[in-house]
Amino acid sequence: MRRTWLRTGFAALVAARILALPHNAEAATRGGKMVYARYADSLFLDPVLNDANTDIWVLTNLYDTLLAPTKDGLGVQPGLATKWESAADGKALTLTLRSGVKFADGSPLTADDVKWSLDRARDPKAGAWSSSLASIDQIDTAGDTVKLTLKHPDPTIIPALATFNAAIMPQKLFEAAPGVTPEDKAKAFAEKPVGSGPFILTAWQRGVSMTLRRNPYYWKPAEDGEALPYLDELEFQIIPDDATRLLKLKAGEIDGTEFVPYTRVKELQADPSLRMELWPSTRVTYLTMFAGTSYKDGKPNPMANVKVRQALNYAVNKDAVIGITTLGLGKPMRSFMSATTPLFVGQDLYKYDPAKARALLAEAGFANGFETSVLALSGNADEANNLAIVQQMWGQIGVKLRIDLVDNATRTARYRAEDFAMRTSLWTNDISDPSQITSYAAYYPNIHSLHSQWQDKRVDELFTASQQEIDAAARAAQYKEIQERYAAAAPVVFLYETPYPVAFRKNAHGFVQIPLGNNLFEGAFVEK
Amino acid sequence: MNRAVLIAARLLQIVPTFLAIGLVVFVLARLLPGDPVSAMLGDRATDEAVTRLHQQMGLDRPLWAQFLLFVGSVLHGDFGTSIALRVPVTAIIAERLPATLMLTALATLLAVGIAVPLAFVAATQAGRWPDYLIRAVFQVGLSSPIFYVGLLLLTVFAAGLRWFPVGGYGDGLAAHLYHLLLPALTLALSFSAVIMRNLRAAILEVLQAEFVDFARSKGLSRRVVLFRHVLRNALLSTVTLVGLQVGALLGGAVITESVFAVPGVGRLMVESIFARDYPVIQALTLVLAVIVSLAFLATDLVQMWLDPRVAR
Repeated sequence: MRRTWLRTGFAALVAARILALPHNAEAATRGGKMVYARYADSLFLDPVLNDANTDIWVLTNLYDTLLAPTKDGLGVQPGLATKWESAADGKALTLTLRSGVKFADGSPLTADDVKWSLDRARDPKAGAWSSSLASIDQIDTAGDTVKLTLKHPDPTIIPALATFNAAIMPQKLFEAAPGVTPEDKAKAFAEKPVGSGPFILTAWQRGVSMTLRRNPYYWKPAEDGEALPYLDELEFQIIPDDATRLLKLKAGEIDGTEFVPYTRVKELQADPSLRMELWPSTRVTYLTMFAGTSYKDGKPNPMANVKVRQALNYAVNKDAVIGITTLGLGKPMRSFMSATTPLFVGQDLYKYDPAKARALLAEAGFANGFETSVLALSGNADEANNLAIVQQMWGQIGVKLRIDLVDNATRTARYRAEDFAMRTSLWTNDISDPSQITSYAAYYPNIHSLHSQWQDKRVDELFTASQQEIDAAARAAQYKEIQERYAAAAPVVFLYETPYPVAFRKNAHGFVQIPLGNNLFEGAFVEK
Repeated sequence: MNRAVLIAARLLQIVPTFLAIGLVVFVLARLLPGDPVSAMLGDRATDEAVTRLHQQMGLDRPLWAQFLLFVGSVLHGDFGTSIALRVPVTAIIAERLPATLMLTALATLLAVGIAVPLAFVAATQAGRWPDYLIRAVFQVGLSSPIFYVGLLLLTVFAAGLRWFPVGGYGDGLAAHLYHLLLPALTLALSFSAVIMRNLRAAILEVLQAEFVDFARSKGLSRRVVLFRHVLRNALLSTVTLVGLQVGALLGGAVITESVFAVPGVGRLMVESIFARDYPVIQALTLVLAVIVSLAFLATDLVQMWLDPRVAR
């Protein structure tokens, strides 16, 4: 465990240097303001009770976790804890807290705050994320050390402590928030959250803007030893329309924006006043297939046959889809998880081969093809493009695809009811570990493998074992086998992974988006 | 019937409308596939998480019980708490409504301001080039999609010429109006086309009426005849049209608010429907229904002023 930590620590250092390189040439500007446009506002800034990426991706600017994901997303680095050590049997973890850390109101961050925050986050009744900390049996504090006693060895506990829901909150301030029940207090506190992160939220006009001021007590120093963050003020403006966000950027009314449509990336790359940034992400795009023997209405399901699922994969030319939808910015999926996920093992998946697809269909008894349907989001240009191409390619092997356009809540409802043939899907990891995506995509007991009803008992066994495997090599081997078995069984139509496309004015620097999606502004600055 | 009684009667009519709309929207919102919990937790929800949230939100109670609870709260002036935003619905609507009202009002003023003089010119010059030109230009306005017109105006007047900010809402009333001018113009363009065509036709029709000949033969000047007699009579149907269009204008605001990043209730409504945020959908529908009802009432009052026979 120790060795792993040293190794990831080194990797983190290397990654940090690489990412920091472009800015080393010029000294960072201190002070000033950056305006960053987001497509949607946050909903609920509570680390434990939130549900949406619009919350998760900005929480890192307000709160700290004991450990932090490295910028390459593959490991963890020190956060509020400077040291951590696993017991030899893997059933305890002892962390040493950084001394002198204060919350943004100036009050000290104590071991009691840590225990209280983690107890709140692991309460099974609170929030959708508590399972990441479920292995904790007991938390004890002594001075500046925090000891987690685990119910069983848990290789995911270290990355879990670097995940947003394990953020450390000020117990006293939270309890002083108005409201009687913990839920009411959480709502009140999330309106004016106080953490130990680089910024503090000072104004929030819902649907319009969020203003964050620099936290004068932030503990992390910049490379030059001076305090971070560089910016005095960070403003998030909410601009839902893609085209409007880019017009605002070009007009210089904002310094940066997220979610640049792929179709506009080349144009922005050519604009001398702007800088296009493509951050490696954990985002994968695929089609989920229902693989149960029959549909809700009792009709038999062709996709229950693995040969049909393989045929559908062979019939899709991923490079063509990538070329048309992402204009070449994507890369073919090489596993069900992204190449940026720890323990990823990639292989060439289903190289385009319509003849083989036809042969497989014939073997499965569908020589003349069949009709099927897919649930897709109405108004989503990327999905529309993907499906138009897939529809045409499948047409060549006799598979007629009907595209049913629905809104997200409808798609989710049909998905949860397992009342669908296929659906469009997109995934990003929240944690620097393969266990989260695997528990949803491959491990049947959680949500029936993406509600596909596909089950491989061996994969379930491997996953269960991997959740307690503290030997890194053994765990890697388990994940290799899971990924290979998944690829062969093809419960999804593998499409592509894409980076996060972000654009800035030329004079705005230092923003980082890690593969998990978190937006880091502590090192951001705007040249005068 | 005098004016006060008429107003009172119309205000009373709002009450049953209100109740009917309340029931309809309550049922419709729940007929949509999915519910707030699935919208909130998304694809990663486990069964346990869904069950727990259902209980927390009271969605596991029978529908009739939920409806009675809703009616009871509304009667106490309480619209509940937004499921997605976790803040009181009244507060969020109060925050968002002014932008939409200002946008709609500004758009109506602009539309009327553009349409009335041009309709007048087109009608009095009927069949000649000014008429053709005006009608051709408005045809384009009428047939252009709002989001496209909006982006075009933004590209030219905001990003290009820098006369206006590229979307947003600003701080303070003056800044609000300045930010809302382009989106209002976007809405006004297609709206004014509707008004212009209607008013032009009405003026042409009134011009044929016998009382116009009579007024002229009485020796009244062309100007007096046109403004005092023709325009006033022709405006009657236009006023009805404007009143009826307020609802449509509020609908158009949804797209405009997104393109121009205006924090209005149009955007809130769409976001709430996507989130299946029942309390917000319900409250907002009721509030919009009241606004439309009041707009109809205002239309009646203006008509009464234009044509005293309406009140009789």
